[in-house]
Amino acid sequence: MFEEIIDNYVRFLSSLTVDHFIRLFWFFIFFEFVRYFLIEFVVLNLWRLSKYLNRDIYARARDEFFFENPLISVIIPGKNEGKHLYKLINSLNEQTYRNVEIIVIDDGSDDDTVTIGRDLERAGLITLFIRNEIRGGKASAANFGLRFTKGKYIIHMDADCSYDNDAIEKIIIPFYVDKEVGGVGGNVQVRNYDETLVTSLQAIEYYDTISIGRTVTSYLGIYRIISGAFGAFRADVLDQVKGWDIGPGLDGDITVKIRKLGYKIKFEQDAICLTSVPNTLKKLTKQRLRWDKSLIRFRVRKHKDVLFPNQAFKFANFIAFVENITYNLILNFKWYFYLVDMVVNYPSMIVNILITNILLYTFTNFLKFVLYSLYRPRSHTQYSFFLIYIPAMVFYFGYYLRVVRTIAYLQEFFFKLSYKDPWNPEKTSVHAKRLKL
Amino acid sequence: MRRIRSSNNPEIYLKPVFILKGINISDPFVNRLCDGTIFSLEQIEFIIPTVEKLLTKVNDLKFTNSISFEAQMIEKTISFMYTCDVFDLEPVPYVYSGINYSYPILSVNFRQTEEYTVLDILDIAEREGIFESEYFDRVYLCSNCSNGHLTYREVCPKCGSSNSTTEDIVHHFPCGYVGPISDFKNEIDDQLDCPKCDKRVRHIGVDYDKPSVLHECKNCAHKFQDYNVKAKCLNCLTDNGVEVLKGKEIRRYKLTKKGELAAINGFVSTSKDIDEIIGTVKFDTFKTMLKYEIERLRQTEGSSNICAIHITNPSQVYSKIGSEVQKGLLKDLVRVIRSNIRSSDVISFQSSSTIILSMNEIPNRIAKRILEEIINMLKRLMNTAFKNMEVNFETNVMSLDYKLSPELHIQQLTKDFK
Ligand SMILES: [Zn+2]
Ligand SMILES: [Zn+2]
Ligand SMILES: [Zn+2]
Repeated sequence: MFEEIIDNYVRFLSSLTVDHFIRLFWFFIFFEFVRYFLIEFVVLNLWRLSKYLNRDIYARARDEFFFENPLISVIIPGKNEGKHLYKLINSLNEQTYRNVEIIVIDDGSDDDTVTIGRDLERAGLITLFIRNEIRGGKASAANFGLRFTKGKYIIHMDADCSYDNDAIEKIIIPFYVDKEVGGVGGNVQVRNYDETLVTSLQAIEYYDTISIGRTVTSYLGIYRIISGAFGAFRADVLDQVKGWDIGPGLDGDITVKIRKLGYKIKFEQDAICLTSVPNTLKKLTKQRLRWDKSLIRFRVRKHKDVLFPNQAFKFANFIAFVENITYNLILNFKWYFYLVDMVVNYPSMIVNILITNILLYTFTNFLKFVLYSLYRPRSHTQYSFFLIYIPAMVFYFGYYLRVVRTIAYLQEFFFKLSYKDPWNPEKTSVHAKRLKL
Repeated sequence: MRRIRSSNNPEIYLKPVFILKGINISDPFVNRLCDGTIFSLEQIEFIIPTVEKLLTKVNDLKFTNSISFEAQMIEKTISFMYTCDVFDLEPVPYVYSGINYSYPILSVNFRQTEEYTVLDILDIAEREGIFESEYFDRVYLCSNCSNGHLTYREVCPKCGSSNSTTEDIVHHFPCGYVGPISDFKNEIDDQLDCPKCDKRVRHIGVDYDKPSVLHECKNCAHKFQDYNVKAKCLNCLTDNGVEVLKGKEIRRYKLTKKGELAAINGFVSTSKDIDEIIGTVKFDTFKTMLKYEIERLRQTEGSSNICAIHITNPSQVYSKIGSEVQKGLLKDLVRVIRSNIRSSDVISFQSSSTIILSMNEIPNRIAKRILEEIINMLKRLMNTAFKNMEVNFETNVMSLDYKLSPELHIQQLTKDFK
């Protein structure tokens, strides 16, 4: 049986012509390889080059920043996050940049978060602990915290993350490199990468797709989402957009709002934050369903105006938007089109096509992982740790995530399920739905 | 009444006292210190049996001369209880008490600011088996001066000021705006408008709610949600954090069989007595030696004296220091006195606050001068040893008179002491 498949496959390979190859693997060649490897690789080199050429500007910006020594306000909203706070505050007290105020906002916790927060406040380890007795959702907590900030820059953090000791310095410098920058996203990496297979695969995803992907889009000026786990904003810009609107997906939403005002959004690869990712497939599925739904909700529904020319129209925003929709939404459905194409037109070869696809993707994944390691900042982990997991990436990335994404898009398109997500209290979701937010 | 019952002399503090008055005494404290009330002098005959009974009971009692202050207080309390046939020592809620509860016959010995000492004394008595007790209430006392007159206030966690205002926080659901209600007020009408999305805020629970409140300090402008609670002491003005207040149990005490015996036989604290203070003799021994000296004077010419040194404010002094320090203080007193008198002279404690000593075979005026010198030295010693504490002394000297008994000498010598 197995030998038969191998035999069959060898015969298939030996009879493969270039034309035939393109016809059979057009999806991989034109979309995956070109977009997610070739273009990315070219851009990465351009980015490297410009980073090298601008190193003096960067050094001057750093000097200017440290000379001015502005107050930086860190806000940490969350519910039942008390247990994470000590670790987080510890990593903040180690920062190279010292003029920082820390504000923790408790969104109606029902555990011992209050005790822990008040304790930290009394001990002087955080500047302020405030609390809403009744939960209002993450956006309302962040907004509540925002009004107590006194800093020139605001950094939004998640309580279950911890930060490199130069993370604050690194995430603020881009504001001094380019005065038109309104927000900077930090580089989120996986802390529990060796916990389970699921977390290891996510770690690779965070390295190759998220971190490198954001470096590329940032260079091209179409970087879309400042991660809620680590994002810095100019205080005056946050004022103009009047804080966060209700989520989920509020990270992407506020980024779009800042873009619409004409500010630049940057990704800072060297500002590193470690987060714990879901350790089971079930939890991961839940998280990704939520993320993917927000694409529809915020891109396609709330901010569709960026697609149409008006006075606030910015070409980069348009491109960012189109790129995002093309490569996430349309591509997702194109893949099914490819699948149907193959099943209908080459039913006899389907096993061989599958095997070839898997080999192609795996080869690319190895290539990317090794090549991209030249473009990553220093890491907390040995890269070699991940090499044995790379073959599994094709199933994780190519099949699992794609299916989850499809389900999310369909649910959101047809049922607007994100408004029912318990991530937000129902009282706020009802309004979001009615107002088409 | 206070003066009588707070005397250190059993003959005074155990005296039957009745109040002659037209109306009832409402002060619970005084009520428990007197033996009864009469409304006219004609009623005196009605109280005679009571008085007789009291006096008989007093005659049962023997008194020891413990120089432990605590022991003296315990003895005093139980002998009074014994004579009145009262076996319960009940805490009485009393606003003039420094700890808000008074045990009248014991508390009467203390000024309000030292009243917390009664709790320590009762503790000792219970450990000695004089009392058994049950829980009654709990009081909180100033961490600095142990006074119970505290005023509790909610204060700013930053500057401690109690001057602050409070505002509701409003969360507008549609846009996620969160801020104090004043953000939502407009200048035209008294409706609320959202400052972020300009919508009118209409229906609590539907489009907005009030998830918390925010206080603003009028003194330092700090904004906060959680007050600190502080207890200001009305005696020393210390602003105590509630977590540093001293929590003390107020208990209800009952005299035990052992306590009753101690009342009759006199109470000497086993753990805290001062027999072993070097350079002193027991008071009984002192009286015997005095008797021989008087006897000797009857046969020979000569002049001998006895002197007394009395601490006039012992409850103030001893309540400020622990029993170890107290013993140290008495040792110091003895050492100073010893260095000024001849080795043939003897020193004894009549009580924890009264020292009696002999100065034999010197003229009275010289004895007086030596005593003066001793007092000066004692005062200097006290000043250096206890900076914030005043110890007051009074003294008396008398020449021995062979016509008088030793008891009469001592009575004469100490009769004017407070
Ligand atoms: Zn204040
Ligand atoms: Zn609003
Ligand atoms: Zn006090």
